[in-house]
Amino acid sequence: MVEAAARRPPASSPSGPLAIRVRRFGEITKEVLRNPTTTIGLVIIASLLLMALMAPIITEANTPDAYQMPRDWGAINEPPGTPGHLLGTTSTGGDVLYGVVWGARTSLRLSVIVVGITMVVGTIMGSIAGFIGGKVDEIIMRLVDVLLAIPELIFALAIAAVLGPSFGNIIFALTVVFWVKYARIIRGQIIHVKHNEYVDSARVIGDSKLNIYRKDVLPNSVTPVVVQATLDMGNIVLVAATLSFIGLAEAGLAEWGVLVSEGQAGISAGRWWASTIPGAMVFLWALAFNLFGDGLRDVLDPRTEGR
Amino acid sequence: MTNLRDDPVGAATRAEERPVITLRGVKKYFPVREGVLQQIVGHVRAVDGVSFEIRQGQTLGLVGESGCGKTTLGRCIAGLTDTTGGGIYFRLSEADRMFLDEMDAVGQDRQTSEQQAKVESIERAHRIDRLKGETWRTYRRNCQFVFQDAFSSLNPRHLVKDIVGRPLRVYKEASGTDLTERVVELLESVGLGRQHLYRYPHQFSGGQRQRISIARALALDPEFIVLDEPTSALDVSVQSQILNLLHKLQQDRGLTYLFITHDLGVVRLMSDEIVVMYVGEVMERAGAQELFASPRHPYTEALLAANPDLLEGDEEAEMRGLEGTVPDPARPPRGCKFHTRCPVATPRCGWEVDDAVAWLSDNSTILEGLGGVERSSDFESVLRFAEPGTAAEAESLLASAAIPDAMRAALVELDQDGPELRIRFEEVDRVRLEDVDVGHMTSCILHTSQADLDSRP
Repeated sequence: MVEAAARRPPASSPSGPLAIRVRRFGEITKEVLRNPTTTIGLVIIASLLLMALMAPIITEANTPDAYQMPRDWGAINEPPGTPGHLLGTTSTGGDVLYGVVWGARTSLRLSVIVVGITMVVGTIMGSIAGFIGGKVDEIIMRLVDVLLAIPELIFALAIAAVLGPSFGNIIFALTVVFWVKYARIIRGQIIHVKHNEYVDSARVIGDSKLNIYRKDVLPNSVTPVVVQATLDMGNIVLVAATLSFIGLAEAGLAEWGVLVSEGQAGISAGRWWASTIPGAMVFLWALAFNLFGDGLRDVLDPRTEGR
Repeated sequence: MTNLRDDPVGAATRAEERPVITLRGVKKYFPVREGVLQQIVGHVRAVDGVSFEIRQGQTLGLVGESGCGKTTLGRCIAGLTDTTGGGIYFRLSEADRMFLDEMDAVGQDRQTSEQQAKVESIERAHRIDRLKGETWRTYRRNCQFVFQDAFSSLNPRHLVKDIVGRPLRVYKEASGTDLTERVVELLESVGLGRQHLYRYPHQFSGGQRQRISIARALALDPEFIVLDEPTSALDVSVQSQILNLLHKLQQDRGLTYLFITHDLGVVRLMSDEIVVMYVGEVMERAGAQELFASPRHPYTEALLAANPDLLEGDEEAEMRGLEGTVPDPARPPRGCKFHTRCPVATPRCGWEVDDAVAWLSDNSTILEGLGGVERSSDFESVLRFAEPGTAAEAESLLASAAIPDAMRAALVELDQDGPELRIRFEEVDRVRLEDVDVGHMTSCILHTSQADLDSRP
């Protein structure tokens, strides 16, 4: 209560609806940045995204497919620092810098597509289960239980292996595996939220079920989904790198897992860079989103929020 | 402690007003499920046959301990929970109600087809679970609800303007600046103002939040509001402000209230008429003054005794406090539901085998030697003990002066045969509410004629 009083804006402050919402967003941002580890995560994410977006500027795009590694057969196994190959080259003449930069772009594309689809599918399925309940809930949640019982890496591996080695199949496999988590989270939230009295209040007014879902139930249920999505932005790249490392992506793709796989044979010969640098990128990516996701959870946690 | 009502003894004159809400034998049972297959093993009788009506411009106070079904009943009336039996009617005329009562007494099989058609048309026009389309919307608009917890009843992500203006949006009554002005008017009518439009619920104190809830309930200019313990989460000083506000709004707008509370002081202040509920049933119903001046039910007396400052010179009543716990509504007591805790219970109040078993388990360890129970009815059972000696011991306990006199007097058969002990109590009908005075009803057999107390078994 003391906290609520402290947060109350002074009477003279601008109080238009837009100003209020902007200020609330500002408050959340400020709270996120108060935690130094979250800030570190955010800074790393920003640099990685910047790198992905500026890939064609940093390195010249390969033709015809920019996501394929360019091969310079005249410069094999060059160490980092070589002119023209700042981070060295692989045993097949691939420029490591190109792989790092375009690999970030691949990772971004992958995680945005997978997180986007799984979040939407999971939210729809979980909402149907939680909001409608009864038999529909039973059917959806038993399916979710079955899918959750299979380890996600093994499951994705099986799907991708059956479909054949291609990066598109990895995306598909990850989508099939990752939506169930969202369904379970949102269902739990909705079942909790729909018993709130503000839902009953909306019913007493006579508002429609769809409006109650849209205005009362969903907005108060999505916070953990947003947090999970942030964490998954990192996890998905990690799992995808694992899958492409064992050869489930096309050879020669500018993707970190593929590069680690290509370079591993040279490690014993002292050519550490071809594997280690892309490996470090995977680590950095996953770490950054986990740091940021954890910080976001602390700020957005519905148990502490707004009270 | 005075009544806020300008016309406190006006229950008789108010009886002329038309009823807004009429309850006829309303029941709400919740299934109790058990086991892996979630089979229904019984029902919690949260509301078990409640009838009363709430008249235009009146406040009806609904009191009882927690768990007596008063909130469930309020939710049923507001259409938030469906009913298991009986009917809740909106704007049912006295004549129609009497017709329905008459037809219930006749029984559906023996009604003529014209009578059946009339019943059907009355139910379609007034029974809230059968209203459709425009008539349902009319009811929905005219019956609003104010919840106990004004924090959880306001969406934390909505601005006050959106919360209070939402009903107007739903019924497309206003939009844009018109909506804003209407919301400001509503806020001003509950003592808030324009400066509160663009704030979130968490920026307000408990009392202010309850004012926002009230403003929202008023938005559609309803006829009737269910107030579910609207002040019990508030400080005493804030409580009286909210009560005054509710009273003023009632005067200005001619509102009808159902005021649900466990606080007798509050209910006395606010109500024209009071209904006392216990384990899903109405125990007593009377005008507010009348109920406090001359309660005609031991349960009401016990509730009053728990608030000594409400008693009017009845020293003796202070001695009768409430003991024991509220019975399980999944297996409510027979006869009068209050007999298990009643300080003045008679042998005709519905003593049953469960009472004897409960007494034995509370006062001895004898039931540890119990092998099984063969129940032929609630009033008759055979208890089978492991040892004949234990059965004899149980018999002597139940025959002794240690058990309540009324229970012992109701015990018509107590036979020990080896390890078996047969217990039979006198069978008693369910008690009914009966008129004892003008506008005063009670179910207590001490005050009514439904049991012949002189012919003791």
